[in-house]
Amino acid sequence: MAEEAMGKERILDALELREPDTVPIFEMGINEASIVNLGRHFTDDVPPIKHITDMSLEEQLRYMDLLALVLHELGNDGISTVFIIRKERVAEDLVRDKYGTTYRLSNVGEPIAIDGPVQGPQDLEKIADMEPDPGDFAMLRYLIARMGKDVAHFFAIPGPFRFSWQLRGAMERLLLDYMIDPDLALSLARITTDFCKAAIEMAADAGADVVVLEGDLAFNTSTLMSPDQYCRFLKPHHTEIAEFAHRRGLKIVKHTDGKLWPILDDLLEAGFDGIHPIQPQCMDIKEVKTHLKGRAAVLGNIDCSFLLPFGMSEEVDRVVMETIKAAAPGGGYIISSSNSIHPGVKPENYIAMVKAARKYGKYPINL
Amino acid sequence: MKESMVRLGENLIAGQIEKVKGLTEEALKEGMSPNEILQEGMVPPMEELGERFSRGEAFLPELLLAAHAMRAAMEVLKPAIARRGIRQEATVIIGTVAGDIHDLGKNIVRMMLEGAAFRVVDVGVNVSAERFLEAYDQEKPDLVGLSSLLTTTMGEMEEVIQKVRRTYPAAKFIVGGAPIRQDFADKIGADGYAPDAPTAVKVAKRILGS
Repeated sequence: MAEEAMGKERILDALELREPDTVPIFEMGINEASIVNLGRHFTDDVPPIKHITDMSLEEQLRYMDLLALVLHELGNDGISTVFIIRKERVAEDLVRDKYGTTYRLSNVGEPIAIDGPVQGPQDLEKIADMEPDPGDFAMLRYLIARMGKDVAHFFAIPGPFRFSWQLRGAMERLLLDYMIDPDLALSLARITTDFCKAAIEMAADAGADVVVLEGDLAFNTSTLMSPDQYCRFLKPHHTEIAEFAHRRGLKIVKHTDGKLWPILDDLLEAGFDGIHPIQPQCMDIKEVKTHLKGRAAVLGNIDCSFLLPFGMSEEVDRVVMETIKAAAPGGGYIISSSNSIHPGVKPENYIAMVKAARKYGKYPINL
Repeated sequence: MKESMVRLGENLIAGQIEKVKGLTEEALKEGMSPNEILQEGMVPPMEELGERFSRGEAFLPELLLAAHAMRAAMEVLKPAIARRGIRQEATVIIGTVAGDIHDLGKNIVRMMLEGAAFRVVDVGVNVSAERFLEAYDQEKPDLVGLSSLLTTTMGEMEEVIQKVRRTYPAAKFIVGGAPIRQDFADKIGADGYAPDAPTAVKVAKRILGS
């Protein structure tokens, strides 16, 4: 009997568009409440639910230990850690990061930038020397030490689009810059691209295997910007970042929600190894897989809007089987939710998803 | 349509703010009412842009730019509106439900409704059912728009609808946001659902029979 592959090997096989021994499993985000709720299935020793901003270092380590335990028990092949920029609380529901962006906190979702340090071109020099700190990589380093290198370590960083609009304080401002101040938008893209490359350098040194470039470029019915705007303001920077990641020996995946068809070919030309998370409400995974064939892998697609929060585990099992049947043959598919394991997801359903992925994911796929 | 209104519309869509202001001022000097300027010079091009957006031929930056220009024109019209009044489609209260702090989708819908001559009262993000009811008491709107980007918060929409309808049984609601679907809108008793901002304007008009 052939020896079972390690998780990292499976993930890298899929990103190189080969068939591993079984469909690899990863999750880009599991938030604080979900770590605790999943953790209860494997241990009684779980911390109280708390937002990361309010955790002491000891509490953060306890959460990371619990996350490692959950992923180990589930047998996931990849783990995703995030770039944690230090933030200070400036009001009951507001935090500010070290670069000057203020975020509104949410109990159930990510903080959202509501004000930024770049009000206009005159402020660019304030951020010209931004550099990542070694402390931003603490979660990555800790989980590599904790989980070892048999699993693939994904490291998520905000790409130039998301980072730029956070520095402007609102996405609307950057999208308007595309129309009325393109030089400002391009300067921001330049500065944030350099920052991303520095972050990739440090992540590679720390031992990451795959970079995930965050930042949604689309919504349910179309892309946020036109294909021409993508090509002018982002594609050259994405290309530069992807080439840099590859030179450092890392794979790179673009994460973006939404219906990507207008810019999908441009994303592939930019050199991403995979596209995540192919929301089933927005794009059909079989169609995307056919379109991407030989060019990039697909990641995701198990619906976390309705199926994982409200469905029955039997439905999860059926959808996982159908998704593997559609996306896995020929390799190039990594299964995950269609965004993240947020507090609305039933832990039992996520566990059912992982079990079903192992049940149906053995290559060759005969479903 | 008057040549000057065609030019106003063209400049509105192109986001030529200074030209839009100038053309609006000229139209007022020529004796046009704020209502005529709004209905002839601004609403038709905004509708056309919305159609192009829904067909995937225009994108958010263009919508934002046109909305920006429209706001500038409305500032010019403000004194005349104060004197002569304006006929607006209807009043809509709009907000993102409790627990959810996303506002981009809500803001775009607000801009498109304003572009279609609705009076819009934006009650912000993370708005409780109680706050929606208070706003309803104050404004007595024709329609309430509820936004949610998160699966975890969309259940709040039903809370708001039930809370407001306990006092105002005829209250009408339109819902939208990334996880929202028509079947969910039907289930919670909303009067309409829109997958994007320009469609929200059409659905709002359908609900109100205008």
